[in-house]
Amino acid sequence: MKINRKIFALMTLFILIMTACSNENESVEGPTNEPQDMILATTTSTQDSGLLDVLIPIFEEKYNINVKTIAVGTGQALAMGERGEADALLTHAPTAEEKLVASEDVINRKRVMYNDFIIVGPERDPAEIQGMDVAAAFQQIFETGAIFVSRGDDSGTHKMEWSLWEKASLDPSGEEWYLETGQGMGSTLQLSGEREGYVLTDRATYLSHAGNMEHMEILVEGDDELLNIYHVMQVNDRKYERINREAANLFVEFMVEEAQEIIKEFGMEEYGQPLFFQYTE
Amino acid sequence: MNILQMEQVKFVANKEVLLDIPYFSLGKGDILGLIGPNGAGKTTFLKLLSFLQAPTEGDVLYKGEVKHADTLSIEERRQLAVAMQQSLLFDMNVSNNVAIGLKLRKENRKVMKEKVDYWLEKFHISHLAKKNGVSLSGGEAQRVNLARALILEPEVLFLDEPFAALDFPTKIQLMEDLKDILKDTNITTLFVSHDLIEINNITKKLAVIIEGQLKQMGNTKDVIHHPNEQAAPFLGKWKELYTI
Amino acid sequence: MGLIYEGFLKAIEMLLSGDREIYEITLTTLRVCLSAILVSTIIGIPLGVLIGLHSFPGKKIILIFVNIGMGLPPVVAGLYITMLLWRSGPLGHLGLLYTTHAIIMAQIVVSLPIIIGLTSAAFQQIDSKMLMQIKALGATKLQRLVILLKETKLAILAAIIAGLGRVLAEVGAAMMVGGNIRGDTRILTTSMVMEVSKGNFDVAIALSFILMTLAFIITFLLTSLQQRKRRV
Ligand SMILES: Nc1ncnc2c1ncn2[C@@H]1O[C@H](COP(=O)(O)OP(=O)(O)O)[C@@H](O)[C@H]1O
Ligand SMILES: [Mg+2]
Repeated sequence: MKINRKIFALMTLFILIMTACSNENESVEGPTNEPQDMILATTTSTQDSGLLDVLIPIFEEKYNINVKTIAVGTGQALAMGERGEADALLTHAPTAEEKLVASEDVINRKRVMYNDFIIVGPERDPAEIQGMDVAAAFQQIFETGAIFVSRGDDSGTHKMEWSLWEKASLDPSGEEWYLETGQGMGSTLQLSGEREGYVLTDRATYLSHAGNMEHMEILVEGDDELLNIYHVMQVNDRKYERINREAANLFVEFMVEEAQEIIKEFGMEEYGQPLFFQYTE
Repeated sequence: MNILQMEQVKFVANKEVLLDIPYFSLGKGDILGLIGPNGAGKTTFLKLLSFLQAPTEGDVLYKGEVKHADTLSIEERRQLAVAMQQSLLFDMNVSNNVAIGLKLRKENRKVMKEKVDYWLEKFHISHLAKKNGVSLSGGEAQRVNLARALILEPEVLFLDEPFAALDFPTKIQLMEDLKDILKDTNITTLFVSHDLIEINNITKKLAVIIEGQLKQMGNTKDVIHHPNEQAAPFLGKWKELYTI
Repeated sequence: MGLIYEGFLKAIEMLLSGDREIYEITLTTLRVCLSAILVSTIIGIPLGVLIGLHSFPGKKIILIFVNIGMGLPPVVAGLYITMLLWRSGPLGHLGLLYTTHAIIMAQIVVSLPIIIGLTSAAFQQIDSKMLMQIKALGATKLQRLVILLKETKLAILAAIIAGLGRVLAEVGAAMMVGGNIRGDTRILTTSMVMEVSKGNFDVAIALSFILMTLAFIITFLLTSLQQRKRRV
């Protein structure tokens, strides 16, 4: 008898918690003008920098759209677009994106902003690349066999890194000093810090991690080659079912217009420098 | 009329005939002993007769009607109380263990409490009422096991070697208790044992089972004093030892 | 060490300041995990009982699959559920991917085998004589089940605790099918992964304290229920 009551009490507690939570959700949404869902596939860097946490609520508020931000590598984000699993994409791998435009998987692709890539490495700089241009730095790392940490996850950053190796006519894959993490930028940076390796990263992510890795510093920056350009686009609703065309279209317009003011200022407060730069067409 | 009856019953396991009973009956008010060596099939016999297990062949009848272990109605089942060889008490206190059958029958709380007190008293275990059933000694547990069956005031009571695990003085005492109780209540009883002293003390009728077959059946005193050829080898040894 | 201390302070600060987001993430975690475990329990215990008590052809095969399921890596469950829920997948029209329902589904998939497996193991261990004795006492089918559940409550609560542990700890599948969407499908484990990748170790540590506290409280409740004092 006694346990029966206890079990009953516990069950009631379970149910109370659950109904409490679900009620809350319902009352927020309201039955009359339920927001439509839109899936945005994007890169981890936009999420990790916190930019989307600022932009998305403004967009949601304005258009009564519920944005589901799925932060993955650019490769996966583009693949989601290619399968029609997302409505809009915000990515930074221009060459790969152009292929999707050509195959008509995505439409209405527009340039939004850029930030820049940098090469970060240990202070003692074993390959002595400080101040070099990118091509020379990669050549030097390759020749000295100093540890280089790669995302290895088909992300925008990874694609950028590959195009740099290719331009220098070098193939580091399989080399002992070439480490592929297969993880996001943050984890990859941390790993490079632990192993004291060189790493190609976007500035925003590095700035947010710099406090945790004081023995690492920026060694190469400012090269034109290192621009990291972001585009926003919507998935072609003629090609795939269940695409929220209207919302995706609104999002593209939002990113190239209203969002620009915020992008310009974003990061000034925390890091004293903007993390992204306006770069519309 | 016979309350329980077996007709052409066989129980076969692993192609071995463990029980072969052409005919058997238990009349109202009978206190029947079933005696036989270990492994003779006594427990199997009890399970078949109490509809806990179905025979491989043949019929078991309850009040003249063929019934089956799976189809026996709950009301009929509740007329048959069984105390197994092992006490198998539940993880709850002794009062609740004794009361369990009445609880299952949704007995009135007040009546239930009275009956529990009565039977605890009867088996001299009132002082154990609050103890957990799984923490009892063999003798204590066996008393609870018996009280748990008797409190149901069943039409038929099945007891499977209820004293087997007890030391001698406890056995004698409990035997006397049970004898009085059965005399008072007049419940039809199948009392399974391999011990002639218990049988002699408690039962009025006796059946001898050896290797799955009933060898002799009759008045207890008659069977003990005049065993037939087949029963004699088993019963004879007992008589020599204890000069019954 | 300093980091852990900082994290601890941060956790207390975030909890005391009533950080709405943390509060929401915690509630979502609770809601998702408890829903999943409730469903797993409601489905898993009867199935475990059936499998444990009865012998039928194919029982062995079923048990093999249940045991494989007990060790199923959550990300495998996550992958298949993702494919099932894709817009282009068989259940795409339901629009369940990247919702808490999807996480609950994944968590049910990983916790159900544990509950079925441990329950059926407990019931298989019940003495067949005990089953007979309960029947002989005049219990109806339902009453028999209730008695058996009481007799096996230790094992069954252990099964629920194990299932809950797995569900609370799970991150791979929740990330995959939930998408770690802020204010929606973000739960404690996925936001920990995200905070680590952002380099916010103090927040991650704070979240870990909340997660551990939750796990502790729930396990404590269930364990004290399980080990309620026997009156001797
Ligand atoms: N279900 C069963 N399957 C196989 N053998 C059984 C089964 N039940 C009983 N036996 C065997 O039948 C014989 C009689 O058992 P039992 O009725 O328990 O004997 P008793 O109670 O007279 O000691 C024993 O040899 C026992 O091992
Ligand atoms: Mg026996």
